[in-house]
Amino acid sequence: MTDAALCAAARHGDKRAIARLVSAFEDPRPQAAPRRAAILAALADRPIGRVVGLTGAPGVGKSTLVGALAGALLAAGERNVAVVAVDPSSPLTGGALLGDRTRVRFAGDDPRLYFRSQASGAIAGGVARATHQVCRLLTRLFATVIVETVGVGQGEIEIVRIADTTWLVVQPHGGDAIQFLKAGVMEVPDGFVISKGDLGSAAGATAATLTAALRLGTAARPVIVTSAVTGVGVAELAAAIAAGPRGRLVDREPYLFERWVADEYGQAGLRRLAAAAPSTAAYLAAHGGLDGAQLAFGAAEACRDRVPDPA
Amino acid sequence: MSTPPGSYQLTDATGAPSRDAPWIFRTYAGHSSPRASNALYRAGLERGQTGLSIAFDLPTQCGYSSDAPIARPEVGKVGVPINSLDDFHLLFDGIPLERMNTSMTINGTAMWLLALYVALARERGVAEAKLRGTIQNDIVKEYLARGTYIFPPEHSLRLIAETYEYCVDRLPEWNPSNVCSYHLQEAGATPVQEVGFALATAVGLLDRIKARGRIDAAAVARCVGRLSFFVNSGIRFVEEMCKMRAFAELWDELTRERYGVTDPKLRLFRYGVQVNSLGLTEPQPENNAWRILLEALGVTLSRKARCRALQLPAWNEAMSLPRPWDQQWALRLQQILAYETDLLEYPDLFDGNPAVAGKTASIVEGARAELDRIIAMGGVQAAVDAGYMKQALVRSMTERMARIGSGAQVVVGVNAWTDGLPSPLTTGEDGGRFSADPAAVDDALAALAATKARRDPARVAAALAELTAAAKRGDNLMEPSIACALARVTTGEWADALRAVFGEYRAITGVDGQSLELPPAQAAALRARVEAFAAAHGRRPRLVVGKPGLDGHSNGAEVIAVAARHAGWDVIYAGIRLAPDDIAVSAVEEDADLVGVSILSGSHLELAAQVIDGLRARGGGDIPVVVGGIVPRPDVARLEALGVRAVFTPADYDLAQVMSRMLDVVEGAAA
Repeated sequence: MTDAALCAAARHGDKRAIARLVSAFEDPRPQAAPRRAAILAALADRPIGRVVGLTGAPGVGKSTLVGALAGALLAAGERNVAVVAVDPSSPLTGGALLGDRTRVRFAGDDPRLYFRSQASGAIAGGVARATHQVCRLLTRLFATVIVETVGVGQGEIEIVRIADTTWLVVQPHGGDAIQFLKAGVMEVPDGFVISKGDLGSAAGATAATLTAALRLGTAARPVIVTSAVTGVGVAELAAAIAAGPRGRLVDREPYLFERWVADEYGQAGLRRLAAAAPSTAAYLAAHGGLDGAQLAFGAAEACRDRVPDPA
Repeated sequence: MSTPPGSYQLTDATGAPSRDAPWIFRTYAGHSSPRASNALYRAGLERGQTGLSIAFDLPTQCGYSSDAPIARPEVGKVGVPINSLDDFHLLFDGIPLERMNTSMTINGTAMWLLALYVALARERGVAEAKLRGTIQNDIVKEYLARGTYIFPPEHSLRLIAETYEYCVDRLPEWNPSNVCSYHLQEAGATPVQEVGFALATAVGLLDRIKARGRIDAAAVARCVGRLSFFVNSGIRFVEEMCKMRAFAELWDELTRERYGVTDPKLRLFRYGVQVNSLGLTEPQPENNAWRILLEALGVTLSRKARCRALQLPAWNEAMSLPRPWDQQWALRLQQILAYETDLLEYPDLFDGNPAVAGKTASIVEGARAELDRIIAMGGVQAAVDAGYMKQALVRSMTERMARIGSGAQVVVGVNAWTDGLPSPLTTGEDGGRFSADPAAVDDALAALAATKARRDPARVAAALAELTAAAKRGDNLMEPSIACALARVTTGEWADALRAVFGEYRAITGVDGQSLELPPAQAAALRARVEAFAAAHGRRPRLVVGKPGLDGHSNGAEVIAVAARHAGWDVIYAGIRLAPDDIAVSAVEEDADLVGVSILSGSHLELAAQVIDGLRARGGGDIPVVVGGIVPRPDVARLEALGVRAVFTPADYDLAQVMSRMLDVVEGAAA
């Protein structure tokens, strides 16, 4: 099937077509960039959806919450919801075991819900490089894209660079809140979710501690106690998300482009980028957006590689 | 019966030579319908079986009636379907409950099946106090290995405690649960893990009963006395015998020290056995007859640690469910051992033997350390929640697979002496395999429909309402369950009422944080092929692994998932107890390059067809599907005719080879 046909089918919610397109956005090879640009051009008339980051330590109940939250967003009137669940790849074998599907079980075959597991690859930060790429696609097809990611410290909260809003999930008595305070990343999330609210007073106590700690910080941010078992707080969280911003993914592209340049070509690459244009945004604009910019920058670097160093 | 000092054989009160009574001979059996299974039981009893061991089908075990959509492919497959008390009347027709010792392998719905048994006794006018038997009723190993859980742990454990609290006075000869180390060994446990984990489970249960405070201290001591075990016996039969002696020693110590039980009778370590199925082989299946014999010796030779009940698998269990003749052959082994040999004429044969004492002491020591570790973690439930036990089991299993793969562990006919003459046992018309009568399932469905038509809906509604209310109040649910049974509530209705109050459990998987070592050279070759695929296609091959149907034996799926990651794949583990359509949805959404389904229930033809149909219906008909499980050889061609691209059976123990064949399929499909 051609990409044009896949795009047409994806508009109608054909999951096979959506899945094939997602794979195109996960493709790390340079030749994938023009393909992505063409796919996005074919979907350019679509509004840009919201990206919601859900992050927290392993085992705090993110996946279980995602299942309940997706349902609640639909109930709150969202047109459709996609979930991208990111799990680590093995640094030794390159392979990954992605187990979130066992914990997030959507009701049957709902055409309004799409779930995709993603391996983090070799990149640190809790979010695969491909996550950003996939969000570029999925935000054209879904009103809300939830990115579920393991984030346990300052270096691993990259999700805030992609998401319109990021929620940190902590469990009662988990000590996570303290860890985050210590790591200095309490400033980062836009809101906090206490999971496993069915554990009763422990959740309330953790919420109180957290709220008190946050008052020491900057602006008031929501702290919501949820339980995927009893459903407590899930609708409240969905409402808070639905009231939040959406569509800012494009604004994030200069940063994400710089990040890509740094990963691929290091600090020297960043200096050459700074030399090539007055600003990163200008560089992107001059090359027709992110994909074109990656192609152009990659080509320029490849060219440099071929020119013998005069020294 | 006593053994005077210096006497080398058993004598009776008059001093005349005598022999012990044999253990109970059971045969694990049941299939198709209550009527068909009743015929099986009556035939078994006529042939000299001395107790019943009832196998239930997966829908009954998982709390679904036969007419539930997820139940349909599994009805009557691995056991008998029981939908209501009417089915129990058929199942036990002509079998006197007051003289029977009935073992039921049932866990998630154990309380319900016991309630049905009590209700049957009431309708027949048999005194409850005369009922003798066992319900397995051990949920911990369901979470760890077997998979037929329904409710979250807290609620499941409550149900188990309540069966003890009910039985302790009213069914004093009933074993309200069998703490199972059996399935732990099947999942790969070493003897030390088997003993340690099982004792930790027993401690968890008894601590809970004590802490609930619903019965007095004397009754708690009687609960200790009723707690029995269900143990596995493997091929290393000397070690297995020592394991049983270690078990008995530790149990005596625990019951005395932790629970202060003074009556030595209540401290006896009582256990039943099903010998090992894990080590039974599909190649040269006739060799399994010898394995089973040797494994039976491990739990009978030592009088001090002899089992109370024994059931033996049939020689062909790695190929299919047994035929009645296969079961008869297994029963004959027990009869010869008990009645022809002089085994039962002697006191313990191993007391004072330094090798046995030393080995036993080493298992005691290791198991005690394991038990202490689990107690220190907060008990068995915390250890399950933390994934500690599951991960230990998966590690042991993968080590075992690696030993067999490297030849360090000899398995005759599998990795040594693989050339053999064709077995006349498998060349008969049926190929040495059992096949159930598919029409028998209609019988079960018709009986269910008739029960629903006949019963009083108001009485059903009232019984279910009281069950729900009692569940919420925290009352003992035995009596409300018996009232449901008498009202002809169905198995699915009973479980649904409690699901609504308790919620449903979803398993942690055995795949998290596991490492598995494929032989380095083979792993490197596999990874090179995976990297080549990634370079050509812009991604690693994506494998979706899942188990369709209700069978919860997750080891096969987990081992494949872990091995594929080790070989460099991106593996999406979809989980167990999935509808075939769930797997199809996962494969389509994940843009899978390959779908691997594991099926051990015998429903592989139906379930594989449904997965493939589900893929086609979603535009994913081009995604190749491979199947692993206990697939009889003739069914391999049938699966291939359905479109399955490769079939892996217990004969495919070489994981690197399995990975290689999976890559062949993916590379072929992508070319």
